Amino acid sequence: MLSMPLPLFFEQIINGIVLGSMYALVASGLTLIWGTMRMLNFAHGEFYMLGGYFFFLLISSLGFSAALAIPIAISLVFVVGLAVQRIAVHPLLGRPQWEFSTLVATLGVSIFLQNAALHIWGERFKTVPYFINGTIDIVGMRLSYQRLLILAVAVIAMLAMWYLLRRTRFGMALRATAMDRDAAMLYGVNVYRVFTMTFGIAAALAGLAATMLSSINSISPWMGAPLMLKGFVVVVLGGLGSFPGAILGGIIIGIVETLGVITWSSQWREVISFTVLILILWFRPWGIFGVKES
Amino acid sequence: MSMISNPLLETKNVGKTFGGVIALKDVSFSVSEGEILGLIGPNGAGKTTLFHVIAGKEQPTSGTIEFRGRGITALRPDQRCHLGVARTFQIPQPFSQMTVFENVMVALHFGAGVHARSLEDEATDILSRVGLNRWASEESVSLPLGARKKLELARALATRPTLLLLDEVMGGLRPNEITEIMETIRQVRASGVTIIMIEHVMRAVMGLADRIIVLHHGELIAEGSPAEITRNEAVIEAYLGGSAHVSA
Repeated sequence: MLSMPLPLFFEQIINGIVLGSMYALVASGLTLIWGTMRMLNFAHGEFYMLGGYFFFLLISSLGFSAALAIPIAISLVFVVGLAVQRIAVHPLLGRPQWEFSTLVATLGVSIFLQNAALHIWGERFKTVPYFINGTIDIVGMRLSYQRLLILAVAVIAMLAMWYLLRRTRFGMALRATAMDRDAAMLYGVNVYRVFTMTFGIAAALAGLAATMLSSINSISPWMGAPLMLKGFVVVVLGGLGSFPGAILGGIIIGIVETLGVITWSSQWREVISFTVLILILWFRPWGIFGVKES
Repeated sequence: MSMISNPLLETKNVGKTFGGVIALKDVSFSVSEGEILGLIGPNGAGKTTLFHVIAGKEQPTSGTIEFRGRGITALRPDQRCHLGVARTFQIPQPFSQMTVFENVMVALHFGAGVHARSLEDEATDILSRVGLNRWASEESVSLPLGARKKLELARALATRPTLLLLDEVMGGLRPNEITEIMETIRQVRASGVTIIMIEHVMRAVMGLADRIIVLHHGELIAEGSPAEITRNEAVIEAYLGGSAHVSA
């Protein structure tokens, strides 16, 4: 790594940020769900997977342009997220042991959706072409337009989320629910509607990441699981329930992985992320933005 | 004062058990429109549980609750809030990472269910009514206890309630603050809000309540005017911590 020319080094940093921005999209959904509902969503990788397939089908079967296919695919995943919450999660909330039962229920949804995808779309890996080809040279760095586009989309999505959380009525309800569910209910917030919408939004963020990465990674029924695990690493690093933590954590993991891969080998990618996870759990289990529990 | 005209809230044989523990047993009472009802009793008597059951945080194990003649036992807390039931928490539970102002805005937006721009004026007005305006832009986590208590009252008022359940809003306040809050409560009642207050500060409850009910070991043991209650032997016995079963 030290023998690497400086422009190549910065090029890899930017590639790491691009990858990390997608981890951030996936992780921010997980952290939103944890923050508002205090539950883990094990079907999150499948929201990502469905985003990839919906996008692929819209482009390859229906001949839509990427600009049209992306919002439609995200909307479809949003609806899937709402449905999963209402059908599999909502009936369990507030029952005894719901923390555990919702975890098992989402794990069941994950297995169901993976197998459904396998039956419907088969096991062959699918790919979609780059939205835009070509590269740009900036001070000796060679960056592809595709990756720069991904970064721009991630930044816009994060700004939109910030606006939603900080400046809208729904965001106010979501933050109140996350801070104190009982008080939010007593002051008139329909927290169950907040929960359902949170799932939909989290699913849509994962779907967006899938549409962005589908031209770089391939689409398969199993594409979601590794990304969800990566999402959990990011969420723990950033601090459970922290939205800025998910963004910063995603970017850190993205950079560390990219630099690690060029230093050693791509086989070490997962080892690197999970080493980071273990180090956090040792030294700062509450994460970057989390609060240490007394 | 025991005359009941037009009950706003009525509980009928309300019981609540947690596992084998009886928290409330056969509690029946009503409160009339415009009344201030004091709810007193020793620690652990079930006062806060009764508020939980009325506001919807807990479901009663038996019995029913009617608000304006309509059964509300099956409704969620947010639905009861929209009908006009508001409460404060004994241990203040502000939205800790929001400012005082935002806390009140949440209650205005979702409790009162209004969307207008003028909400900010109303929030400012409510904060000045409870004497919190100088704290408006502070994060609520940094408030001292007295201010947190006032914030509880402010949030409850912001839902534009018809029935206000006050759970020890005076606890931990200084004497001059208690006098201020008593005046605020009088004004709230004058604006047409019915109030049930749990209170250990006797000066406040005796000075404000039209009528008082006494809860002991989950059961109502007495009801009457403040003057009657102070002379009631069962009440005196309960407070002095005599045997569990005292016949009146």
